[in-house]
Amino acid sequence: MEINPKAQPQAKGLRPPFSGIVLEWSKIVQWSKPAMIALASVSTCVVAILWFRLQSEMLTYRQEAIDNIHFNVAQIELDLVRFQAEVEIMALQPAEPLSELRLRFDLLYSRFQSILKGKMFVALDRGDIVDKLTWRVEKYLNDTTPLIDSPDPELRAALSQIDDDSKKLRLELRVLIIQLITRYSAMADERREAFSSLVQRAAWAGAIVIMSLAMLSALVLWLNRKAVRLACQTVRLSSRFAATVETSLDAIIVSDEQGKVLDFNNSAATNFGYSPKEAIGSDLADLILPPLSRALYTDMMSRINRDGMDHDANSGRLQMTGMRKGGQEFPLELAVASHNTAAGMIFIAFLRDISDRVQAEASLVQARDVAMAAEKTKTNFMAVMSHEMRTPLNGVMAALEIASGMAVNDKQVRFLNLAQSSARQLLRHANDVLDISKVEAGQMHLLDEEFDMMALVQDLVAGLQPLATQKGTEMIVKPLGAMPRLVGDYFRISQILQNFMTNALKFTENGKITIEIETQRRKDALLEVEVRVIDTGVGIAESDQARIFEDFVMLDQSFVRTSDGTGLGLAIARRLAQAMGGEVGVESELGEGSCFWMRLPLAVGEMLSQTEDPKAASALSIDLLDILVVEDNATNRIVLEEMLQQMGHRVTMAVDGRQGMEVARAYAFDVILMDISMPVMDGLTATTMIRAEGLSMHSRILAVTAHSMPTDLERFKNAGMDGCLTKPISFGKLAEVLLGDGLDEPEPQAKPKALNPARIDDLREGLGPTGLVRMITRFRADFPDFQARLLAACAPGKLADLMPICHEGAGVCAMIGAPALQQLYAKAEALCRDGDEIKAAALIMARGEALWAEAEAAISALDLPS
Amino acid sequence: MYRFFSLIVLLLSCLSVPTLSPAYAQPVAFAPPLGIPIVTVSGAITATNAADGLVLDLDQLRTLPQHRFTTSTPWTEAKVTFQGVLLKDLIAAVGASGTTVTLMALDDYTNSIPITDAKDDGPMLAFLMDDKTISVRDKGPLWLIYPFDDNAAYRSEETYAQSVWQIKRINFGN
Repeated sequence: MEINPKAQPQAKGLRPPFSGIVLEWSKIVQWSKPAMIALASVSTCVVAILWFRLQSEMLTYRQEAIDNIHFNVAQIELDLVRFQAEVEIMALQPAEPLSELRLRFDLLYSRFQSILKGKMFVALDRGDIVDKLTWRVEKYLNDTTPLIDSPDPELRAALSQIDDDSKKLRLELRVLIIQLITRYSAMADERREAFSSLVQRAAWAGAIVIMSLAMLSALVLWLNRKAVRLACQTVRLSSRFAATVETSLDAIIVSDEQGKVLDFNNSAATNFGYSPKEAIGSDLADLILPPLSRALYTDMMSRINRDGMDHDANSGRLQMTGMRKGGQEFPLELAVASHNTAAGMIFIAFLRDISDRVQAEASLVQARDVAMAAEKTKTNFMAVMSHEMRTPLNGVMAALEIASGMAVNDKQVRFLNLAQSSARQLLRHANDVLDISKVEAGQMHLLDEEFDMMALVQDLVAGLQPLATQKGTEMIVKPLGAMPRLVGDYFRISQILQNFMTNALKFTENGKITIEIETQRRKDALLEVEVRVIDTGVGIAESDQARIFEDFVMLDQSFVRTSDGTGLGLAIARRLAQAMGGEVGVESELGEGSCFWMRLPLAVGEMLSQTEDPKAASALSIDLLDILVVEDNATNRIVLEEMLQQMGHRVTMAVDGRQGMEVARAYAFDVILMDISMPVMDGLTATTMIRAEGLSMHSRILAVTAHSMPTDLERFKNAGMDGCLTKPISFGKLAEVLLGDGLDEPEPQAKPKALNPARIDDLREGLGPTGLVRMITRFRADFPDFQARLLAACAPGKLADLMPICHEGAGVCAMIGAPALQQLYAKAEALCRDGDEIKAAALIMARGEALWAEAEAAISALDLPS
Repeated sequence: MYRFFSLIVLLLSCLSVPTLSPAYAQPVAFAPPLGIPIVTVSGAITATNAADGLVLDLDQLRTLPQHRFTTSTPWTEAKVTFQGVLLKDLIAAVGASGTTVTLMALDDYTNSIPITDAKDDGPMLAFLMDDKTISVRDKGPLWLIYPFDDNAAYRSEETYAQSVWQIKRINFGN
């Protein structure tokens, strides 16, 4: 039953398919051997015992001088009668010789002797009959023999006495002999019976022996047949295994625990260039591995030997370098299986020459790298293009805006309006593409700020309320469970949700849009936040549901004409969610409505939730505001307009203080956002004038400025302003400010930073890495000159030049994001304005150098591409 | 049962009986007996000294080749040494032919044996028992005795029946 271990490819733990038979068979063999021996020895013993008994019995039978007792006793009577007859004859004829008489007596005597002294009688039970007979016969012989042996005359005289004696003996003998024969017959019967039963037992024993022999023969025959069948099976399996191994395309090498090659198949011979004869017996590692891989292999083997565990064996495929006979190296793939055999552990190595594959992989990788590089170039190009497009677009829009103010007839107004809306749409497209490009290029910087999700959603809903009302659709915010403050990029989150909500509104007429917000604790410290925007609109066919998150997909083609969408909204939402580690999706049924969901892992903020704040809640009830934006910078104006319109407010624009003041006097605005520095009329003057008279004299007027010092705020308030909004303006901040909260307070007196990283990030985002570097390099190159001018202006007699130089410095530092320096210059400028130039010069002399050094150091510490 | 028994006996005898090759000597010329005649040999014989065959006395028997062996018998209590003439030697001496030897006793008991039974280690016509002539009372004067002790095959009832004593006539025939 031992199968050639080389031919057995199964990993350990697998049993050969016929192990069941093996078990049964070996069990039978195991038990049949002693059983056979026991049966044979018992049979032999029985037969031997019976044989000996039979033998001895037969010997007795054969040697016993039974001598036919019937015949002998009959002869006794006959001899006695004949003797007696002779005696009677002689009594009548006295002349006749007595020799015949004496012969008859001798014969009678002899007969008596042979019966009485023979073994026949001895063998017989010495019972009373035998004794009596013996005694009687001996008495007769003792009486008669002397008479017979006496001379003739005396014998003749005794004849009548002999005759009488003989007659008497005859009668007594007859009785005794009959008794004896009866006794003998009974004994003979007994003996026959005993012998018969002995023979019968022998026959039974013989039968049993024959039967057991037959059984043993059958068993032997059966075992033999089984063995032959198993041998055939083994041969068949062995040849099948051998054929499998030999015809395998993979090289198969079997080695023992020491790494000695036991088997080397055809493919191995072809691959490595050794004939099986050369290979078998040599060390596997030395044979087919280059010196470098050999150490690896030896290490693996020693680990297996030491731990008694096969870490590497039976565990997938490894890549190694192999070596052909000539020393040529090539990559190979190796799978090792181990198997425990009676002769110890064997390892079966399956090896494959993967030169072609490795080459193919290499060229694939190269092709992929080229393609990826091209894709990256394209993405970068798109990003740059989009970014670059925005600047001139802003210019175009500003120009159109200015032109629209100068339009003199309806036709011009119509064309200008058309041009303006086209420009706006173009800007949105450019922004969309820029968003996608940024995400793709991995350049998107995510904010990590604390925010209130509930408020964010409610703000968005508030902003869309006018559109909802227009479509007859109700919007409901439904928080499920408590909502803590979260940390994340609220701007991107609101971008996603805004997209979901505007989509829902677009496709829902006279329906209902429910926004559900739910959080769930995750295994890590984060919360999983899910926001679902559920509408009762037209719904999306199942086949389209996956598609809508792809780029440039718009299901309703007719919508393209009526809307200004690019079909990038959901694609951006998907990318943004992914960038934030979350996902978006949709569940929808055609005609029933859709549910767009967003799931994000977000950290929990430290501050308490403010959703319960009654002030915030009441503020949310404010829906539409009439807002006037007074801003001379076209870009800022457009950005503000865009933001406010997205929030759902009605926006009116003015390009300078005078125009703003005029509009404000003519119309009652809820809020006026006022830039400070403007041509024609500055913001403060305009505010004073608005407060003086007109419909908006009680409106909220907020300053919009790049910098806000406490003194500035004082000035704004003096002019009649309600608050200040510091640039850059974010969506959330704008929303808060409009609701009357979050107005920028004077910055605390904490030591300002040498460099503001957020600003640097903003710049990087806006200008791109190279643009940022260019700008900073320029700044560093220009600054010594600036500083020289500044110090020169600090000298007595030159103090009149100090204020504009400080103003310039504050602007530059604000732009580059160096708050400490910026504040220094701003303070100096303020001192100059108050006429205290000497103090301003002292301040700059005292701290300018140090702060510059700090800023310089911080700039150097920036991780900028050179 | 007896068949089985006799079969075994037959098998055993076959094994133990050696092939026989009697060397017949030239028949001897016999004069009429001078002493008391003991036995009459008759039938298919070449040597005769009387009308009905060859009559021999003790002295004449003594002139024939003598043979001795000691054996126990069913009829004697101890071992006894017999002396006499081998049947085989008698056959040679009298020039007997035929297939059967018939032995007749004084009491007219008769038994026949095949002539082939006469062998070198076969039956002997004994006339001396422990160097003494055998009286009729002791189954004399001539007794066909087999070497029972030497050969187990002879210790059988058949052979015992063939051991004719008080022989008075020996006849050769078919």
